[in-house]
Amino acid sequence: MSVREEVWDIYRETLPVMLIALMGGLIAGVLLEEVVGLIERLPGLLVMIPVFLATRGNVYAALGARIASGLHQGLISPRFRRDPRLIQAVIASFVNAMAVAVVIAIISWVSLQVLGRPSASLLKLVSIMVLASGFAASVLIVGLLSIIFVGYRRGVDPDNLVGPVVTTLGDIFGMLFIVVAIGVVEWVGI
Amino acid sequence: MTASSDLGTSWRATGIIRRMFPLLVVLSVIVLIAGIRLEQAGALLQRYGVIAVMVPTMVGTGGNLGAVLSSRLSTRFHLGLTVTDPSDRGLWSNVIAVSLLGMTIFAGLAGAGYILDGLTGGQVGGQSLLIITVLSGAVIIIAAISFSFLATYLAFRYRIDPDDVTIPVVTNLVDVLGMITFLTVAAFVLG
Repeated sequence: MSVREEVWDIYRETLPVMLIALMGGLIAGVLLEEVVGLIERLPGLLVMIPVFLATRGNVYAALGARIASGLHQGLISPRFRRDPRLIQAVIASFVNAMAVAVVIAIISWVSLQVLGRPSASLLKLVSIMVLASGFAASVLIVGLLSIIFVGYRRGVDPDNLVGPVVTTLGDIFGMLFIVVAIGVVEWVGI
Repeated sequence: MTASSDLGTSWRATGIIRRMFPLLVVLSVIVLIAGIRLEQAGALLQRYGVIAVMVPTMVGTGGNLGAVLSSRLSTRFHLGLTVTDPSDRGLWSNVIAVSLLGMTIFAGLAGAGYILDGLTGGQVGGQSLLIITVLSGAVIIIAAISFSFLATYLAFRYRIDPDDVTIPVVTNLVDVLGMITFLTVAAFVLG
């Protein structure tokens, strides 16, 4: 295959999901603009957002890449089964996501104290991160695996899907569940 | 080296967590820089809503390009193909395709930003949006490609499974760089 053909193949196969990622990014952007309006009430909130979104990316992109490599190597099949490899990979991503959510709230709070910038209480920041991570985990794990499996069965290389799918779902649902978590925390009165 | 020799342990949850969690904490500390930069830009974002709306795509696209490229490099690694030989045409195809994808998406983002800006009264203006997007986009594409190769090479060199390391490292470094570049360029142009 010539370079031109290979470039065109990769471009054509990846562009649709990149365009969907663009749409998703714009939706997440509109949600971010909403959150920017809340920073007087919840100072320090903006520090956590890139770290939270990046962590969703880290955890679920690693899960997706692992599944993609497993599919390429024929180690797992593209279906929701009680496959021990699949289950182990999903458990690992969930534990990592929840544990690092607590870490994010703590390091954000500490950095705000060190920089002498205003900040909401540590309990509030931890609660927002844990709630948003929990909500996001359920949607992201099911959504990511579904899209990879369906795509793979239709002959789409999962390597081209994982990154954009994770970023799109992660950005939209990450931002959405931060807004929801803020609502819950303020409603409960933490 | 073949990746299949250690598959029994590499799929165990405790093993994945033990290898990944420390990395996740280190990466969170790195991306904290992007968070602090975003928090400092709060006033700019409140004034220019379009810039806030563009943030996730600006940052995410770099991460996407890095993830697509490093995921492909990582699979080449698993399949035993080269990831560091510059005479390999397959590598160049990947680099060219990723660059073209980046240019397409940033052009689309500039267009969407222009429409949104127009709808909200044209605070930023088409020329400023174009300058901000082209400058930030170029830096982000180059960064995504460079970091993908560097991270896959280092994973290969130190025999770490690239799936666990490459993608997080690439997307996070590009995230931080993308956030700093975009907000700094935006603040400079709109300053």
